[in-house]
Amino acid sequence: MVNQEEIVKRLMKFVEEKNMPHLLFAGPPGTGKTTAALALSYDLYGEEWRKYVLELNASDERGIGVIRTKVKEFSRSKLPGHVPFKIVLLDEADNMTADAQQALRRLMEMYADNTRFILIANYPSKIIEPIQSRCAVFRFTPLRKEDVIARLKWICEQEKCTYDEEALEVIYEIGGGDLRRAINILQAAAALGHITISTVYKVVGLAHPREVREIIKLALNGKFVEARERLRNLMVNYGLSGTDVLKQMHREIFSADLPLPEEMRVIIADYIGEIQFRIVEGADDEIQLSALLARLALLGRRYNIKL
Amino acid sequence: MSSSPRRVPWVVKYRPKRIAEVVNQDEAKSKFVSWLKSWPNVKKKAALLYGPPGCGKTSLVEAAANEFGYDVLEMNASDFRRASDIERIAMRASRASTLFGKRGRIILLDEVDGISGREDVGGLEAVLRLVRNTNNPVVMTANDPWDPALRPLRGNAELIEFKRLSKRDVVRVLRRICEAENIICEDDALNYIAEKSEGDLRSAINDLEALAIGFRRVTLDVAKTLLRPRDREHNPFETLRNMFSAKYCWQAKISLSQSQLDYEQAMLWIHENLPNQYTDVEDLWRAYEALSRADVYLGRIVRSGDWDLLAYAVDLMTAGVAMAAQNNPRDKYRWTKYSFPQKLLLMARTRETRAVRDDLASIIASHLHVSTTTAKNDVIPLLKIIFTLNPKYAAKLALGLKLSEKMIEFLAGPNKTLVMRYLEELKRKQSEVARKAEEHYVPRKESGENAEEGSKVKHRATRKKGGGLLSYIGKSKQ
Repeated sequence: MVNQEEIVKRLMKFVEEKNMPHLLFAGPPGTGKTTAALALSYDLYGEEWRKYVLELNASDERGIGVIRTKVKEFSRSKLPGHVPFKIVLLDEADNMTADAQQALRRLMEMYADNTRFILIANYPSKIIEPIQSRCAVFRFTPLRKEDVIARLKWICEQEKCTYDEEALEVIYEIGGGDLRRAINILQAAAALGHITISTVYKVVGLAHPREVREIIKLALNGKFVEARERLRNLMVNYGLSGTDVLKQMHREIFSADLPLPEEMRVIIADYIGEIQFRIVEGADDEIQLSALLARLALLGRRYNIKL
Repeated sequence: MSSSPRRVPWVVKYRPKRIAEVVNQDEAKSKFVSWLKSWPNVKKKAALLYGPPGCGKTSLVEAAANEFGYDVLEMNASDFRRASDIERIAMRASRASTLFGKRGRIILLDEVDGISGREDVGGLEAVLRLVRNTNNPVVMTANDPWDPALRPLRGNAELIEFKRLSKRDVVRVLRRICEAENIICEDDALNYIAEKSEGDLRSAINDLEALAIGFRRVTLDVAKTLLRPRDREHNPFETLRNMFSAKYCWQAKISLSQSQLDYEQAMLWIHENLPNQYTDVEDLWRAYEALSRADVYLGRIVRSGDWDLLAYAVDLMTAGVAMAAQNNPRDKYRWTKYSFPQKLLLMARTRETRAVRDDLASIIASHLHVSTTTAKNDVIPLLKIIFTLNPKYAAKLALGLKLSEKMIEFLAGPNKTLVMRYLEELKRKQSEVARKAEEHYVPRKESGENAEEGSKVKHRATRKKGGGLLSYIGKSKQ
């Protein structure tokens, strides 16, 4: 098992030798994958790194066509003598379909003489085998509690924020080893003044209201029209996709705060999965989620749920 | 003159000559006039006038040009598809102004939302170049400025909104024209024409002209017979009534083929009104399951390009829904007040806000190196907290991220004015510091510029300045 410090040592070797293979950074969110790639770029190219690095996010660049055009244009430009290669940084690469990944594989081969790819993914298993085999794979692990807290303290010093020790522990418990999330929460909490456990909880509560749980409750109570209305507002105003909502619902139905018969949780999970599959097949978010709410209303009556 | 054989269409003949003659739109008028008068000392060298068709956008430009002594060089959507055309007109405009000395020129690009992002990339880029380098005021018009393809133009233009004209506004103009043309027109008829135009003055004048040419005397009856929509298809309400009450599958299916609605609109109407028609939750679920399956087929059509699948989608959304009322079969015939799909209304109402939110998300995404989805789900909610609870700190972030006023409003809500005030203060201090630095001949440090940026941005900046990977190790060790 390699942890981040050893990854960094190996990356520094690449800088020293001014050579590297294609890289695949894999690991959970907020463990420093993108940061490591950017830091590596900076070490290789210095202040001018942006000239030699093409940063793409697979979730935002719709389709392989866009990626192909951009990569083509980028790698066509000339390299000055002291720069050995350019870097294409492809973030959230595991969000690409298998077809798009096949096309990406060909791109990696076509431009291999002057371009290196750094792929970043949460789940390496979603990256197709032929790409994995062309990359040196680095696995990033969630940060340890003491590392997260030390980093938060360091930021507080830099920003001259005052804090209660326990508040930082609570932030760690909420974010887990996800440092980005932890820093985001810290920054918002700091905006409220002295950082305490209660400001941290306040921030988290305000940022992620229990809207999805309320929608589930309304549907189970047979209040379909209200549930659909709230769902619609949630999606339009917050810009959540159908899949975002489904994932949150999936978390909620197994939560102890929602007292349901255990067998019912399983039935609902199965149907959420079915609806997600329909959306992936190209169906409309709102109609599919409404169908799910109608199903919840029916189950609520069958199991005589009153929440 | 009006009886001369060569007729000028009324929309041209009665086009306003002076700004005051442009109907309503006071806010837009004053914004546009003050922009035009201060040109070229303006923040943005182009203006984008937007609003529904026939509300006076082009008229205002021509009236203003007339009043302030400009010539108008006009290009239509179909003209500026090619980059070379736009460059040619820009050349012509700059040459002409040197030739004739004082008389300025306004470059008018009508209906810029007609340039589609995909096919006319060159055209859009040429417009952008023109806007950035122009020596003449550039005025663009659009019905729909929130088209994502127009995002770069939006950022480079003064946005001026035109409101939909009211029925009263339209009637007033029509009446004036009737008087000038010696037409006798019943008030009811004028009202009918105005109502039908839905605030589009141009189409109302055209309709009036069409009716008046033959008759000289316009009555409500004439208006109704001649202006009635030609199609005799069922409206959405009739469609839904026929579909829900169908006893047999073929009746339900035929209700859609006889409808004004296409299958996609029908889907939205059925979705909206299902829970009003069916009271039993099991019936409701059965109907939704059918609708959901129909929707899956539509998705498959898009993916596979196989339109044969449409038949199955239609079966499920019509017959599938109509046959779902098994527990309470009488619900099928129950009189129900059907409503317009709320989703469409909500989307239209929130369009501007959503465009602002998406622009904001891409700024955050590029600063933090995350996807726009992550920016929307994880970062924006926290920013909203900061902006509502700590305006002073929010102003710093706004400065660092270079947020627009609309974005600040989106994040801060009613706190916007407070944040804006702090932001102005920060900007003033910053320029003072810059001036002092210049006076003392202190060479400006590269990093000085970033010093005031929001802390998250700053961390990245300092980390990078501190030298890549080494400090990265420090991060996990500290």
